Amino acid sequence: MFGDDILASIFIIEDDVKIRNELTKLLEKYGYECESSDDFQNIVEIIMNDNPNLVLLDINLPVFDGYYLCREIRRKSQVPIIIVTSRDSEVDELMSMSLGADDFITKPYNTQILLARISSVLKRVYNAQPKDTINHKNVELNISKSTVTSNGKSIELSKNEVQILHLLVQNKEHIVSRDEIMNDLWQSEEFVDDNTLTVNINRLRKKLEEIGVKNYLITKRGQGYMV
Amino acid sequence: MNLKDYIKDKTIYIVIMVAVSIILAVFVYALGNGIYAAFYTSLILILSQTAALILEYFHKREFYYKLLKNLDKLDKKYFLSEMIDKPSFLEGEILYETVKQTNKSMNDEIATYTSAMKEYKEYVETWVHEIKTPISSSKLIIENDKNSTTMNLYGELIKIENYVDQALFYARSNNVEKDYLIKKTTLKELVNSVLKKNARTFIESKISFEISALDKVIYTDVKWTDFIIGQILMNSVKYRSQEPKIRIMGLNNENSATLLISDNGIGISKKDLKRVFEKGFTGENGRKIAKSTGIGLYLCKKLCDKMNLGISVASNENCGTTISIVFPKSNMFV
Repeated sequence: MFGDDILASIFIIEDDVKIRNELTKLLEKYGYECESSDDFQNIVEIIMNDNPNLVLLDINLPVFDGYYLCREIRRKSQVPIIIVTSRDSEVDELMSMSLGADDFITKPYNTQILLARISSVLKRVYNAQPKDTINHKNVELNISKSTVTSNGKSIELSKNEVQILHLLVQNKEHIVSRDEIMNDLWQSEEFVDDNTLTVNINRLRKKLEEIGVKNYLITKRGQGYMV
Repeated sequence: MNLKDYIKDKTIYIVIMVAVSIILAVFVYALGNGIYAAFYTSLILILSQTAALILEYFHKREFYYKLLKNLDKLDKKYFLSEMIDKPSFLEGEILYETVKQTNKSMNDEIATYTSAMKEYKEYVETWVHEIKTPISSSKLIIENDKNSTTMNLYGELIKIENYVDQALFYARSNNVEKDYLIKKTTLKELVNSVLKKNARTFIESKISFEISALDKVIYTDVKWTDFIIGQILMNSVKYRSQEPKIRIMGLNNENSATLLISDNGIGISKKDLKRVFEKGFTGENGRKIAKSTGIGLYLCKKLCDKMNLGISVASNENCGTTISIVFPKSNMFV
């Protein structure tokens, strides 16, 4: 239902304008549609009207606190709620869960972790499968099958290779630094070091060449890689 | 208080009593009474006074005996005033009142400081939560505009975040028991979450990890343990050498599992090693690396002690440091 290119709508309840704007920017970059509001008095009705696929909820808010809102939203709707807060005591976490929130993330969060949690909650609630294949410049990456296809020829990729290529295609026409790629791999618990990354990239490039794709994965010296 | 001490204390009284008895006997005799009359007069005087002294002795002995016994038995001596009954003789009453009053005054003083400390702790906690908002928004701003400058700033932000966390955990470290929740988890889950959270720092410092045998089920509080492992790994980053390596390993013991974190960093000298868990101790490495605060390992040790986790350190100068933490494998031992 939702995937990299298919929109899921997220309602952000956050009183800090800066965080709200930046979060919106970030989530939109990853293909989500974002709504938010300053009207904290009537926020529950606004959400009900907007009917989002997911709600990101802060706890410290003007007018009503997040726990109250969580309960109110739950009363009217089963929309998944992720609580995002700087309060991190066990009590807060337990409280969130008992009020029907689907997940609980503490600020300041690692954005990769936030994105992962959003996608896993969406997956769980809507049984959404991310899009299987992704295309760029006549090269098709099949994520679930771990293969890459071009001009009718296919070759199998390792888990790391799939992830690296996926990240590069997601950021097509933009340079992705080595640190960025490593961070992405680390977030899926592949704690690779510099040498391993070099090996992975070289293998990936070799495999692409084997199916006749040349000069696809470009090295930008000192900056990173690009497709 | 024994009889000897008591008699010694009453020397003047006894001396005067004996002197008065003798003078009285002489006086009675001089007035023309017989020697027996003089003798019995003073004997009656001496006997009555002695009886009074002995009565007083037993009376006081009971009070002071109880007082000293209680004082000896009490773990917290200041509870003494709650343990004594009001005596029925003057000195005892004075002592009783004095103890009561000084105790009350001390209690008031302690209450002042306790509430001041509580207020301060609450302030630190609020402050930490406040500052997390701008840190969050800064991270998001950078995330939306990645370039070499902002990524540099990102690294610095992570450091700030780390120090802020340290302050929060320091403020909370005295009441760990009020805010912890023992959960079943694995060493792998704990370590992975710390590695993911601080990924950028480790990647930027070019640290390579070797991780093995972390599939051990343990019981602990995730949040506090996360902090402890984070502090240890951050130390490995801080005191790294050329081509830094960190090895993380799990070991099975009978009723526990040990997490070993070894680095190949600059190590700790033998003479500093036994003091690394002391508050504010920075040692030789602290002088070499100006960023040492002497708080990180102190907090780790303190939190481990509160949670009944064993933490120990081994190190060879210029070769590296190994920290081991022992976790219970069943929640019966927590």
